[in-house]
Amino acid sequence: MENILECRSLCKTFGKKQILKDVSFDIKEGDILGFIGPNGAGKTTTIKLILGLQSITSGKVYINGYNVEKEFTKAIKKVGAIVENPDMYMYMSGYDNLKLVSNMYKGIGTKRIDEVVKLVKLENRINDKVSKYSLGMRQRLGIAQAILHKPNLLILDEPTNGLDPEGIKEMRELLVSLARNEKMAILISSHNLAELDNFCNKVCIIKNGEIIETSEISAIKKDIEHEKFIIEIENTKGINKIYKEAEIINDKVFKINIKRENVPDLVIDMVKNNIKIYEIKEDEKSLEDAFFERTGGNVIE
Amino acid sequence: MSSLIKNELTKIFKKKSIYITLLVVLAFVILTNCIYKFFFTRGSEYGYSDSYIAYIKEDLAKLDPTNPSDTSMYIDLKSQLDTYELMQKYDEGAWQRQIIASQVATYVNEKNTYLYSAEKDEEKANEIENKINDTLQKLENDDWRYFANLDLEQANEKVQLLEEQKANTQDRQQLEELEISIENAKIDKEVAKYRVDKDIKYGTDYLNEALTTYQNYAKNIIQMGNFDNLEYEEKLEYNNSLEEKELSRYIIENKQDINKTNDTRGILKNFFSEYGLFIIVIVVMIAGTIVSEEFNKGTVKLLLIKPYSRTKILLSKYITILVMTVFAIAIILLMELIVGGIVFGYDSLSIPVVEYNFNTSQLEILNIFTYVGIEILTQLPMIILLATLAFALSTIFTNSAFAITISLLGFMSPSIINALVIQYKVNFMRFFVTMNWDLSEYLFGKLPSMQGMTLGFSIIMCLIYLFAMIIPTFIIFKKKNIKNI
Repeated sequence: MENILECRSLCKTFGKKQILKDVSFDIKEGDILGFIGPNGAGKTTTIKLILGLQSITSGKVYINGYNVEKEFTKAIKKVGAIVENPDMYMYMSGYDNLKLVSNMYKGIGTKRIDEVVKLVKLENRINDKVSKYSLGMRQRLGIAQAILHKPNLLILDEPTNGLDPEGIKEMRELLVSLARNEKMAILISSHNLAELDNFCNKVCIIKNGEIIETSEISAIKKDIEHEKFIIEIENTKGINKIYKEAEIINDKVFKINIKRENVPDLVIDMVKNNIKIYEIKEDEKSLEDAFFERTGGNVIE
Repeated sequence: MSSLIKNELTKIFKKKSIYITLLVVLAFVILTNCIYKFFFTRGSEYGYSDSYIAYIKEDLAKLDPTNPSDTSMYIDLKSQLDTYELMQKYDEGAWQRQIIASQVATYVNEKNTYLYSAEKDEEKANEIENKINDTLQKLENDDWRYFANLDLEQANEKVQLLEEQKANTQDRQQLEELEISIENAKIDKEVAKYRVDKDIKYGTDYLNEALTTYQNYAKNIIQMGNFDNLEYEEKLEYNNSLEEKELSRYIIENKQDINKTNDTRGILKNFFSEYGLFIIVIVVMIAGTIVSEEFNKGTVKLLLIKPYSRTKILLSKYITILVMTVFAIAIILLMELIVGGIVFGYDSLSIPVVEYNFNTSQLEILNIFTYVGIEILTQLPMIILLATLAFALSTIFTNSAFAITISLLGFMSPSIINALVIQYKVNFMRFFVTMNWDLSEYLFGKLPSMQGMTLGFSIIMCLIYLFAMIIPTFIIFKKKNIKNI
């Protein structure tokens, strides 16, 4: 499969401050890349460099094989995006906003507009002024304008801001279907990891302007499943004298790092030690934990 | 490109602010027309105000004509009161008032002098009284031609008298003075003849005004002498007098009130001075927001990730401003045509505009719409340069309020600066933009108010200023980093 977006050692400096250092990644068609990092890590700056909104200090961006700096209009032709906020013309209706966008591409008729409006579920409010929309509705309108011209690269900067859980779920489904059915490549930035958990197939973790991890999501998840178990007993007092690796959570619960096949032996051992066991369960790690583990928390320089 | 321009126009016309501005402009157009219709008064009237009369009466009661120190004052006030009372018989603006104010007033003063002064002479007073009654009788009969003929006769006599004097004079200086007097007397004769020939009744209407203007400016020209020997400022004055004289002659000969300001045509003729501010406000308002607003609202990001180069996007916005300039002029012109038509009717539009052409020394007769078209063309450099200034500032600083304020200042300050530059002949200021952007200075072969300026020079200067603003704007916009909004 061909790379739709390629970023090659992107650097960006503002004055003396280096915002991005050697950022490289690529996205193939059908990929949904989660672009994860704490606030101020350089997510939005990277997106702006890709879209030609800011000048690139060094490095190259190719979209569909075209260099963004040298052949901007060709490169940007099949890109749809929301950068920062879904900024629309507030004094116009949602429909008028989409009409403006459709005028700027060839061959988008009212039929396509209606289709997209239905897709983002705005058909009831599309003729209202955008100033009357909630943030969530504006996000959906933002996605509508981004996919109107059937791009093959969709770049969304924190698109779930302001959406309710139901909305987030709907958006996930929409993006997954776009990636599958329209073969779109999607770059989606977020600091809210829980929502990327289930539907990204790749993640890219950025911190202080540097990519610290790029991998398939399944690999990351596997990586963090080094099996911890949570055990509830009558009293945890003195338990770490018996099991040195035990991590006491409160006076009834402790955590322990052992392999799954050793659990029965542990139970037998505890019974022998006259410890009353109430519950044993596997500690399911989320992407979020992995994230904090790898980025070392949310530290902004 | 055309779809970008279409989008820009959509954005402008979807905003309420443009409609509110247009409504305010419409209100001003209506107000202007109504004020001209209902409150406009023209020219002077012969008569005294009520308060002045009350004051005279009060004073007269205090004065004693037999007291030598009061006599002359008494005569003066009494004559004024008598004249006033005679005038009361006729309506304001009636032709009789003019005769009373000029001829009868002198008789009344004479009569009162004989009646009250030290050398009393009842007989002479009676004689003058008869004269007054005679005159009043003529007035009563509405016989203004009698006075017109009398004027002409007197003017003729004066010319003849002066010619005779000239024939008998040898002294060169005296001869010169006499010649000037003869020229002046001839003008008086000409005016008197116009009144008789053209059947112009005394009064305060435009024909009488034209006669007076003609008389004054023709005499002024005689006084100034040879055009080639004049200083530049004097040449300007000479040309102005010449123009006024020739236009007045046109008015008298054709009996067309081409200077009338209080009708549809009159307001259209002064279209730019009446409504120029509104054109500038609308255009600058659009030019000052068209780029900066996109930055302030964040929508610029939407615009810049579309498959168009930044140059094209900015160019489409600039062209939109030019389109809106044409729109603003057209809509205000339309408003005036409709409101003017309702308030005054359209009859006046058939009267042409007359301009004196200094190149051919002939009058040019223009249709009112042709004239308005020419006037707008001559003001276009100023409108476009101010719009470009607002556009450039709005793009470079992304601050609408700043861009609009500076541009409006640029519209208001030139009147002061230009006047100063011309007064003190600040020569290097000929390169300054405000000295060049009003091309009406050069119309019909007029001399520009600053010596040595030409139409070609001004057009080139305007173009230089235009590109000096446009080129940096495009370069800066092309390189601009879209920061966090």
